[in-house]
Amino acid sequence: MKKISIYQIAAKNLLRKRSRSALTIIGIGLSAWVLASLLGFNQGYDSALKKDIDNMGFQVLLTAKGCPYEAATLMLKGGTGLRYMNESVIADILSQREVESVTPMLMQAVFDPDRGESGAIDAYLGVDPATFPQMKSFLKFKQGGWFKDPEAHVAVLGYEAAELEQREVGNKLLIPGKNIELAVVGILERSGTQDDGTIFVPIRMLQKEFGQQGKLTAVGIKVNRNANTAALENRLYDLPDVQVVSMAQVKNTIMSLVATAKVMVLSIAVIAILISMLGVINTILMSVLERYQEIGIMKSMGAMPADVFRMIWTETVILCIMGGALGLALAFSLAKVTDLLIRRLLPYTPTGSLILIDGGLMLTTFAVVLGIGLVSGVYPAWRAARVRPLESIRSEGD
Amino acid sequence: MKKWLVPFIVVTWCALPLLAAVGCELNDPDRDVKRLFPESTGYRTTYASIQKKGGAGLLQQVEQRLGDRFKGLFETADVPYTLYTIVKGQEAIGYIHGVNQKGRFGGIQIVLALDLEGRILAFYYQRLTNSDARLLRDPAFGKQFIGLDLRDFNGYDVASGRAEPGSRIAAIQNPAPRAEDDFRASLRAVKKNLILSDEFLLGNRFLGKEKSK
Repeated sequence: MKKISIYQIAAKNLLRKRSRSALTIIGIGLSAWVLASLLGFNQGYDSALKKDIDNMGFQVLLTAKGCPYEAATLMLKGGTGLRYMNESVIADILSQREVESVTPMLMQAVFDPDRGESGAIDAYLGVDPATFPQMKSFLKFKQGGWFKDPEAHVAVLGYEAAELEQREVGNKLLIPGKNIELAVVGILERSGTQDDGTIFVPIRMLQKEFGQQGKLTAVGIKVNRNANTAALENRLYDLPDVQVVSMAQVKNTIMSLVATAKVMVLSIAVIAILISMLGVINTILMSVLERYQEIGIMKSMGAMPADVFRMIWTETVILCIMGGALGLALAFSLAKVTDLLIRRLLPYTPTGSLILIDGGLMLTTFAVVLGIGLVSGVYPAWRAARVRPLESIRSEGD
Repeated sequence: MKKWLVPFIVVTWCALPLLAAVGCELNDPDRDVKRLFPESTGYRTTYASIQKKGGAGLLQQVEQRLGDRFKGLFETADVPYTLYTIVKGQEAIGYIHGVNQKGRFGGIQIVLALDLEGRILAFYYQRLTNSDARLLRDPAFGKQFIGLDLRDFNGYDVASGRAEPGSRIAAIQNPAPRAEDDFRASLRAVKKNLILSDEFLLGNRFLGKEKSK
């Protein structure tokens, strides 16, 4: 006589009601998808924001005193500082022992009346060729390279700026209103940062052409490894008419803003998981009630309560394994789509991938789904194990 | 299940490469559509690229019709074009389409409003960098393009900037002699715009018929 294992019986039982089993698997799968995407968003957002901030090339930014939100905008999106600092501030900064290097910057903007219906602002970032490229060593060039002469009439364009202006190395660029021609000497590769939309020019040339000699709008400060950045920031606050923007502060502020959104998404995930738990309980319990007599006959033929419990529990485990696998497949394959949707919802998102799904996260999600499934299966399995053979067989005609 | 799953995955993944290159969208579609088609009640926006519609074969056809190669880092087959179909009630009444063009000092964006037959109803620069830009942006310059269609550009050689004597293109006056480069770039952009509109919007109404006007 051919023996049949308890796992085969469980699998056959699930196949008897294919539609119900499939719907339950889909329900578990959707919950696992939401959970994996949420956990992926948690670690992806942090990682992308950290990368964005590291790509600034400096840990502290000094700007002229003004609205801190303008300073944050300047750092994260590009923009114009409305006030100026004196260049002498650089010597004060360099005298601090925590400082490894500094790079002065001057942002200038001109109104271009020939953009759109009512004109628009063009911005130029003056940078020091001796210090800025070293601080931004991760920037790669698609064409050309950095300028060397701080007074030359040349420009390096971020990829998107070059695309918008349709510029290549050797082309000319005109500063509207001032009729200053610049030669394009470099086009950066796409970096996924605000540098993509920036037009970099030599700082001395920009100061001279805009009548801002000796003036700066920002100074990027690279801090020594293991230095006490907080102590440095406190001393920088003592400098007159400047404000200090720490990248760590910016990160914390953004993370606290995003925390609200994360709590909302987490709530949705919890609700989805609860619904899928109820779905599992319902499916297995229905299956137990439908097989009331069958379970009674199995017990009358020698099956012990533990055997029945194990069989029903195995059905739950099979459903959860399949649902978990489906959810992880969805989360992994649709991570980019989820990324796009989140970008539309959040007011600020970093440039890297927002959904980071790795092996550890997949295992965690799988373990959570399996754990929830096992808990959900306890009650139906317990009910099945308690079935009395004679009662169940007598109830056949009821 | 397979019937819907495969197209779903294909559509969601294909939507992503649109981010690869930048096209030419209207700065303010609601305002611009109303200004160009005052009688309109709405518009539909669609996106197309040479790469997705026909790949290398279509690029070759477009270049052949243009009489010039697509050049440089940014004039490529994967550039996504934004196409606006203007409606009045349920009925389409025209199109708006803009293209990027390399100019002497920066990117030029030329937007055309077309009727359903592909005739130019309006021409304007959405972006132009030149010290004489105001002369080219003067409405009098744009009016010279009104009523033209792709057949009018057939005899125009975009590479040399030569138009057939006596043709309507030859009659277009450059109001800014110092900006001759950008004037010629503008004519190339208009021809490219009309060819792409024919490919993406008009079902190649003018393909092979350019000389029949």
